[in-house]
Amino acid sequence: MTSKSSFLVSMKENNKRRLWVWIISALAFMLALPALAALTLNTISRQYQWVAENYGSTVAGQIIHEKLVNSMCGILGLNVGFVFLTAAIALLSAVQGFSYLYSRKKIDFYMGMPVKRKKRFLVIWINGILLYFLPYLAGLVITMLIAAGNGAMDKTVLQSAVAALLANVLLYLGVYHMAILAVMLTGNIVVTGFAFLTFCLYEFMLRVVAEGYKEIFFKYYTYFGSDRTPKLSPFSMYYRLAETFSYLNRMDVKYLIELLVFAVITGAVSYFCYLKRPAEAAGRAMTFEITKPFVKILLVIPAALLMGAVISDVINFNPEESMDGIGWMIFAMTLTVIIGSALIQVIYEFDIKGCLHKKSHIVINAVCVALIFIAFRYDLFGYDGYIPKQNQIKSIAFVPDYYGEAYGGTYFDGEGGYMSSKQYARKYMYLGNIEEICDMAERSMEEYDKIDWYEKDALTDELGTWAYMTIIYRLQNGREVNRCLWVNLDDAQTVKALDQIIGSEEFKKGFSMGASDTLSAMIDNKDGKYKVGTSYGNMIYQQKMSDAQAKEFLEIYRKDLALVNFSNVRDNAPVGTLSFDILEELSGSIYMGMNGSVSRATRGWNLRLYIYPFFEDSIAYLKEHGYYMDVQADLEDIAKIQIINYNSEIARELQEERSTSVGAAGIVTDDPAVLLELGASEEDYDYDIDTRVYADYVEEEQLKEIVQYIYPYDLIVDDWDHGKKLDRDYEVVIYFKTDSEMTKDFGTNAMYGFLEGQVPDFVKEDTVYKE
Amino acid sequence: MIEIRNVTKSYDKIKAVDNVSVTIKENTVFGLIGTNGAGKSTVLRMLAGVLEPEQGEIAIDGLPVFDNMEAKKNIYFIADEPYFFANSNAVDMQKYLCSIYPEFAVEDFYNYLVNFGLDKKRKINTYSKGMKKQLALICGVCSNAKYLLCDETFDGLDPVMRQGIKSIFASEMERRGMTPVIASHNLRELEDICDHVGLLHKGGVLLSKDLEDMKCNIQKVQCVFKTIEDEAKVISALDIMKNEKRGSLNVLTVRGNKAEIHAIFATVNTIFFEALPLSLEEIFISETEVVGYDIKKLILG
Repeated sequence: MTSKSSFLVSMKENNKRRLWVWIISALAFMLALPALAALTLNTISRQYQWVAENYGSTVAGQIIHEKLVNSMCGILGLNVGFVFLTAAIALLSAVQGFSYLYSRKKIDFYMGMPVKRKKRFLVIWINGILLYFLPYLAGLVITMLIAAGNGAMDKTVLQSAVAALLANVLLYLGVYHMAILAVMLTGNIVVTGFAFLTFCLYEFMLRVVAEGYKEIFFKYYTYFGSDRTPKLSPFSMYYRLAETFSYLNRMDVKYLIELLVFAVITGAVSYFCYLKRPAEAAGRAMTFEITKPFVKILLVIPAALLMGAVISDVINFNPEESMDGIGWMIFAMTLTVIIGSALIQVIYEFDIKGCLHKKSHIVINAVCVALIFIAFRYDLFGYDGYIPKQNQIKSIAFVPDYYGEAYGGTYFDGEGGYMSSKQYARKYMYLGNIEEICDMAERSMEEYDKIDWYEKDALTDELGTWAYMTIIYRLQNGREVNRCLWVNLDDAQTVKALDQIIGSEEFKKGFSMGASDTLSAMIDNKDGKYKVGTSYGNMIYQQKMSDAQAKEFLEIYRKDLALVNFSNVRDNAPVGTLSFDILEELSGSIYMGMNGSVSRATRGWNLRLYIYPFFEDSIAYLKEHGYYMDVQADLEDIAKIQIINYNSEIARELQEERSTSVGAAGIVTDDPAVLLELGASEEDYDYDIDTRVYADYVEEEQLKEIVQYIYPYDLIVDDWDHGKKLDRDYEVVIYFKTDSEMTKDFGTNAMYGFLEGQVPDFVKEDTVYKE
Repeated sequence: MIEIRNVTKSYDKIKAVDNVSVTIKENTVFGLIGTNGAGKSTVLRMLAGVLEPEQGEIAIDGLPVFDNMEAKKNIYFIADEPYFFANSNAVDMQKYLCSIYPEFAVEDFYNYLVNFGLDKKRKINTYSKGMKKQLALICGVCSNAKYLLCDETFDGLDPVMRQGIKSIFASEMERRGMTPVIASHNLRELEDICDHVGLLHKGGVLLSKDLEDMKCNIQKVQCVFKTIEDEAKVISALDIMKNEKRGSLNVLTVRGNKAEIHAIFATVNTIFFEALPLSLEEIFISETEVVGYDIKKLILG
């Protein structure tokens, strides 16, 4: 049995060989912690006099204190800089500690000594941890003492520092073990570097490849932003931990455990490899012969597929349109297989002649790449058209893309920043009408697959109005399946289904922030941490609402929301919006902005809920309380309305005539960029063709009529449902009277537009282009 | 005692050591001889517990050696290129070895350094190759390990140093029964040191014998016969391996024990007769011929 003292002596002797790593680590931590802290505190403290002169000494003291505390939280807390520092020291420590395994001379010396392998590993391993932990701890303590001496220390700083220490040590363990594993699997420092990089990037590469090929070959593939983020990387685990800490101000134990489990597993695997590592592996590329073909295959196959995907992107390969370009992809993949296999063999043998060896590996790699490529190309596993069986589905989230505007446009749940509508629906939407959705999906896919979208003579209008959406199937077995779907909004059966789906309460719960408990909790503000500002208006005219009215109106809005379905939102333009500006104060901190402004540290969200004409109760309430506007602008405020008609159709015709005359026949666009792309030379495009016609209106009667049809530009958005749209050929600019309140509150003018088909005839006449 | 039983070891499917069995007795100097690539270093590295044999067993005083502290504390291995810590000096090495070998003879270490003219404060990386080998040998001897495994350690040592090392070995063997095992590709380096020799070739053991036993079976004499008849009579009676004639002087290498050969010479008249000491090379020539090898091609080149 190893005595405690002999173990300590061994550690001491081992550390003598690692002095330079200790010095680098200590220096790095001294610079990253006490030096940076002292510099920052000094910079902030010097601002005191200026702040005191501008805001008074009482406020100045508080401002500077808060600023000092915040800066300390930034330096001692979780930050990106520490990720690099931690990873660098972990790699350095692992490689230096076990570098004797690269050298036969050193192996003969160390392994000839009467020291158990287990003990040697333990000594190096523990020292490797200590040379990160001790300088970190020392730096932390010194920084805290400096902070305390400068009045920059409080509970928040301590909490941030302890949380960061825990997370950083776990990250260190994860990366350190990963680096040790890289050392154990290789016999040469350069190859270890490659192995470490591969560990860091491999999962990301696989995800990029899988995602790339799904995007190329599967028209019903959809993904969330996080699909590329590796799940098994200590860096992404740390990122998730840091992200939740920044929002929740506490450690999420789930992510801590995740990091710990990763560190334990990689540690155990690296120790196992250490025990199995033969001494004769020193200097070789790979320690274990058996791993060589597997490593080669596992590296070359995704690399070849990745190269294929890159080439497909470069040549804009689109299999739905044509298979032109697939040859280039195959060529790129073949070349990568050959070069990749040869290169790895050269590394294995440290001999350029090695490139000609193990030709069978090239064949195996080529066959595997071909099989994977064919699997994607011909969808051998039925991915693209997959709809789970209804009895396998537990619930569904249905997310019409770009439809969120009709329901508020922004998503959040108070636990972080904004979310996407998909993320929100994934978390909160649990639709039970599975049959309806599955039938619609099946029918839509069948119909969509029949259409040849790239047929030259196909007329877009005849193909139907197709809209894009995402379906998240939550299966009984816990799996989640995501697919996108194109639905034909001209199909009566589809519209009926959409009315039922979108009209359901579950859909609104998972898609409309107006129906969310989060919003209720923020408005109720039982914790006293939220400040909610509510107003009603049309983005130009806004009137503030009291908190009581806001609560009252939200209840009425929710009742009206129950009336919403796909068709009635599509067929109506909103008449106004109920806007919420929500602020959450963060630990009561005050900070001074870069421009010298003083404010409390907050985070905020903005939410707009649209009011439609069929929201009868809501409109009645608004009318009753004087918020409702019969038209979208007040005649009292208007000095002049200027209408600009672009006459795009005429412009296109003129441009076409001009293009035909110079040889770029068939190009029917007025966009010079498109024209040029389609083959017209710059000289072909006539920039002198300007078909815009301006008309100014000041007469009350005219203004009165125009005002009835105009909508603020920002109120009407082009939505997924192909509903009411502004006629983009017309721009309506309202110039406010100089003495109007609007000039003070909003500005001198505001942009409006006409809904399609609602342009008054006299405006049309006044603004038509005449040569 | 070190027992190597049917040990096999391969590198990349090439057998470096193939079914080797050798026994090394205590308190003897064992020489392991073989050409480059014969497997000497591999055998020594397995003996030191650096490499694990694929097959067979290696026991040091009855204990398996690989990763076995009890067995390894009786061993000190000096590799063909001894390793010293970067930027270290002899003192650093002594301190480290003291932490590993509790019985490290510190006083002897410094005495030996003085005797060999090695500066204890000088950085080892400034030492010559020979000085490094001397230091490695001093470290090994002072570790007080029972078995000192030396891989090509005497290669490059000058005759004075060799003599010095030889005397240290002799005193240590006498004092504490140290058993040096010396691997070399050069027969001449070992002939004045070894008691027992093992010859490795292509991973296998050609022979392993006591030098004295081998010497008993082969004799070298030089003589001048009185008559041609006497000469013919003796030559026909002896098992002559080699006969060099320089004028009337015959130098004969003859197989057989000393008494028998002397008896044959006693039957004729000689003007001059002298028994000469045999070199290890000459012994090996005779021994390997028995097993069908031409030693000159194997070791002497």
